[in-house]
Amino acid sequence: MNELSNRSRDIGEFIPQPDDDMIVCRCEEVTKGEIRKAVHEGLWTIAEIRRYLRCGMGLCQGQTCAKLVKGIVARELKVSPALLEPATSRSPMRPVEMHVFAKETEDTDL
Amino acid sequence: MMTADVIVIGAGIIGSASAYYLAKKGLKVIVLEKSDIIGNGGSSRNGGGVRQSGRDPREIPIAMYGIKNLWPHLSEELGYDVEYHQDGNLRLGKTPKHLETLKKLADKASAVGLDVRMIDADEVKEINPYLSDEVIGASWCPTDGHANPLKATLAYYMAARKLGVTFITGQDVTEIKKIRGKARAVVTQDDVYEGDSIVLAAGFASRKIAGTIGIDIPMISKLIECLVTEAEPPMFNQMLGTAEADFYGHQTNHGSFVFGGSTGFEMYKKDNGTPVNYSDTVPCICRGIIRYVPQLRDAKIVRSWAGWSDNMSDGVPIIDKVDEVPGLILACGFTGHGFGIAPGVGTVISQLVTDEDPVCDISGLRYDRFYAKDVAAGKAV
Amino acid sequence: MKIERFDLIVVGAGPSGLSAAIEAAKHGMKVVVFDENARPGGQLFKQIHKFFGSKEHKAKIRGFHIGEQLLKEADDAGVKVELNATVAGLYQDREVVVRMGDEVHHFKGDAIIIATGAAENMVLFDGWTLPGVMGAGAAQTLMNLYGVKPGERILMLGSGNVGLVVSYQLLQAGCQVVALVDAAPKIGGYGVHAAKVARTGVPFYLSHTIKKAEGTDHVTGVTIAEVDNHFQFIPGTDKHFDVDTICVAVGLSPMSQLLKMAGCKMEDNPKRGGQVPIIGEYGETSVPGIFSAGDVSGIEEASSAMIEGRMSGAVAAEYLGYITKEEKEEILAKLKASLGSLREGMFAPKNRGKDIKETEEGIPISTNLLHKGYVLDSEIERFPGVTHKKGVHPVIECTQNIPCNPCQDACTRHCIKIGSHITALPAVDETADCINCGMCVASCPGQAIFLVNEDAGDRKAEITLPYEFLPLPETGMKGTALGRDGQPLCDAEVTRVRSSKAFDGTNLLTISVPAEFAMKARFFKAAAQA
Repeated sequence: MNELSNRSRDIGEFIPQPDDDMIVCRCEEVTKGEIRKAVHEGLWTIAEIRRYLRCGMGLCQGQTCAKLVKGIVARELKVSPALLEPATSRSPMRPVEMHVFAKETEDTDL
Repeated sequence: MMTADVIVIGAGIIGSASAYYLAKKGLKVIVLEKSDIIGNGGSSRNGGGVRQSGRDPREIPIAMYGIKNLWPHLSEELGYDVEYHQDGNLRLGKTPKHLETLKKLADKASAVGLDVRMIDADEVKEINPYLSDEVIGASWCPTDGHANPLKATLAYYMAARKLGVTFITGQDVTEIKKIRGKARAVVTQDDVYEGDSIVLAAGFASRKIAGTIGIDIPMISKLIECLVTEAEPPMFNQMLGTAEADFYGHQTNHGSFVFGGSTGFEMYKKDNGTPVNYSDTVPCICRGIIRYVPQLRDAKIVRSWAGWSDNMSDGVPIIDKVDEVPGLILACGFTGHGFGIAPGVGTVISQLVTDEDPVCDISGLRYDRFYAKDVAAGKAV
Repeated sequence: MKIERFDLIVVGAGPSGLSAAIEAAKHGMKVVVFDENARPGGQLFKQIHKFFGSKEHKAKIRGFHIGEQLLKEADDAGVKVELNATVAGLYQDREVVVRMGDEVHHFKGDAIIIATGAAENMVLFDGWTLPGVMGAGAAQTLMNLYGVKPGERILMLGSGNVGLVVSYQLLQAGCQVVALVDAAPKIGGYGVHAAKVARTGVPFYLSHTIKKAEGTDHVTGVTIAEVDNHFQFIPGTDKHFDVDTICVAVGLSPMSQLLKMAGCKMEDNPKRGGQVPIIGEYGETSVPGIFSAGDVSGIEEASSAMIEGRMSGAVAAEYLGYITKEEKEEILAKLKASLGSLREGMFAPKNRGKDIKETEEGIPISTNLLHKGYVLDSEIERFPGVTHKKGVHPVIECTQNIPCNPCQDACTRHCIKIGSHITALPAVDETADCINCGMCVASCPGQAIFLVNEDAGDRKAEITLPYEFLPLPETGMKGTALGRDGQPLCDAEVTRVRSSKAFDGTNLLTISVPAEFAMKARFFKAAAQA
């Protein structure tokens, strides 16, 4: 059990901030306010935030925003960022076209 | 120790939806989740199909109930967009043998009242102009569709949480215990939770947990793998599948395509503790897609993922009360197609808890339906 | 599907990956290195500055030359380097899928070394997504690899070594650096790197950060403001600059995704830069046969990465029976000593976050250096490299304990002493005679050594300073001498310009200034520029 286990723990109300409209994930255009709001809706892990808002799910797969998102979520939950498990690493590390992935040998005819 | 009216084991879409409908009835619910993450199993790792076609007739009633009564208003009901589309399901064939397979499935479904029929190449093209000319026909179920499983799962969770349901993550259930003849206590590594009813909706882990109270669920885990593309311009809204299950999937609201598929070795993949992709699956799915939707050959894949499905020996889930363990309700073994029926399952589970008559026929999904074959009598399972 | 098998697969052809591959191949292993870039060398080829360290760390050699040496060594050792080869994933059973051209290929390695390096961090401020905001490393790639100026007027955020080095290189590329800004109260990088930027006139704003990048479709300006101890803006402290580019140098994050994907145990370790594998002393991850080397397991300098690479290469060689345990121990012992010396001094990983007030010699550190980027005239005299003597003598303005000693070897007359402890401050031996050869000036990676003749006659002093800008001033050229703070001090005339292969691109400019500025004048601006 840790501070993230009981999802009914009171983390206070969502209080709007002046920079809520600032984009954090530029691939998927997710703002700071959307992330903060999602935390108050009960999404307390990086995986849940990603799945709901798509931040870190774009072309760069979170290379730029992962740390930023983590910081925002941790502050909102009043926990150490280290408590938040980073997102799963998924293949491919770089975007790969379907026809390239499909071609594993020279005799694949597509 | 925490107590509630109902303890739900598993915060996937089945557990979360059950909790939601139970809370709506005014019951106090605690949901225990093994993972630190809500909906981290099959609920977030599926193709998002909301379909009736292609199903075993025993689960068609609950699928039809959900599509008729729940899915169309689900976003409104929960207060979160679950990205539901009802634009039909095309199951594609390229050979006469494919069409034969599809027709058998369609006939079975029609028999229980589903609108699903075979269509020819021209009609297929009319519905979806992006398909390869090699497609000679398809089965077509216009009332099928798809939704966003990531969002739908979290939407049920968030809505249930708003109704006062307590979700506790990181709770690995080690035992269900009877107290005075009724299943009542749920023991985790940290605590003991007690409730008048216990709903077991823990995917494949349900087998081990049910075993602690003397119930066996004949299922195995099977690896499901999917790929996700970058956002493409909107192309089509139908759910696609093929007679040979080369691939299945759809385009999401976001524009990305989510496609699953198989290599043929799914049953035999290694469980190294966490579901991981195999190196040969994504290439295999890609070949399937390109042969049916040639235009997607240049779409970039940004991600792939894998998940375990809980596959029952006869391909349909258990949604039932356990007679010899009063208080225990099972909702597991969804065999890779539980997402689309989850709203219906949640509704029915809430009814089983409160001893109401289920809104649809679930008699084919009983827990005690498994009998060993009797060769002499010529009977199968 | 065909699977090709190697003894060792290395992912990443940067300093650590190449070093690992070389070490392994030297012991007879069949090695392949995959790198997604068109050129090998990782970040080495954009490092145009001279490296710190000692001879064994290739000190005073410019990064891109180290890259060339590594490539030759790899070639000689028979390492196969596959370029434009993007590793898509690291799967079970040590299988790697690589995109090469329009196909994917499957490989398995009996050992795998992940040396994928790191990526730049970003920081949020209003307008951070505007074109013109870029990572400092990206700016460095543009100018040093592609010959493209990132912008004309630039503000640098971040005073770590990356921010300092790239600021200097931007100046070398002919850009204006309008300010160097950091939210921290103290400069994070080496003082000598800061000093060489400050003396050109770039102002430092510590305890400041960016409030807003201005512009509609491109950066046209930036507003910074002072922050308090909690990094909150202090009202009324806004400062505006017209700029077309904002460079961000706020640290690096390890690109450890492949290791995580392979199931290696990971940890979140801010001291190592983020999510890193939990490793043994030589890069062994929790998955047998998978190793890591370089920045991917913790952000450090390229010099350390090269040693780490050698270590994991040697460990992999023993793992697969190409060398004995004893041979491995012998190799590791040497490398360990070498790595240990690099991890000494004020900037050592173990000292991160510590508030160090004195040098190892017990001398108070210049607070002005930490806040403004330069040592005050009143502070400089307390350091052992700063002495006075008749005739030409070296003045070494090296005031922090960093692992670096080329100056000691550069002086054949033994004027400069560091001793065996590599982080000791260089001291000038007043009894030894300087012959004004200039080798010490050119050898100092921090450009912190000057040759000073405090009495060159006619009430003038002559100062020889390192100069790495174009156009190179000519003898007789008049201009202005700048102080350590970059402010104009007095008129100056170039009396000698020396360039030599032995100086490796560092030119020696001798300027004549009024004698009273002998210990003050440290940079030259030609008249037209002043």
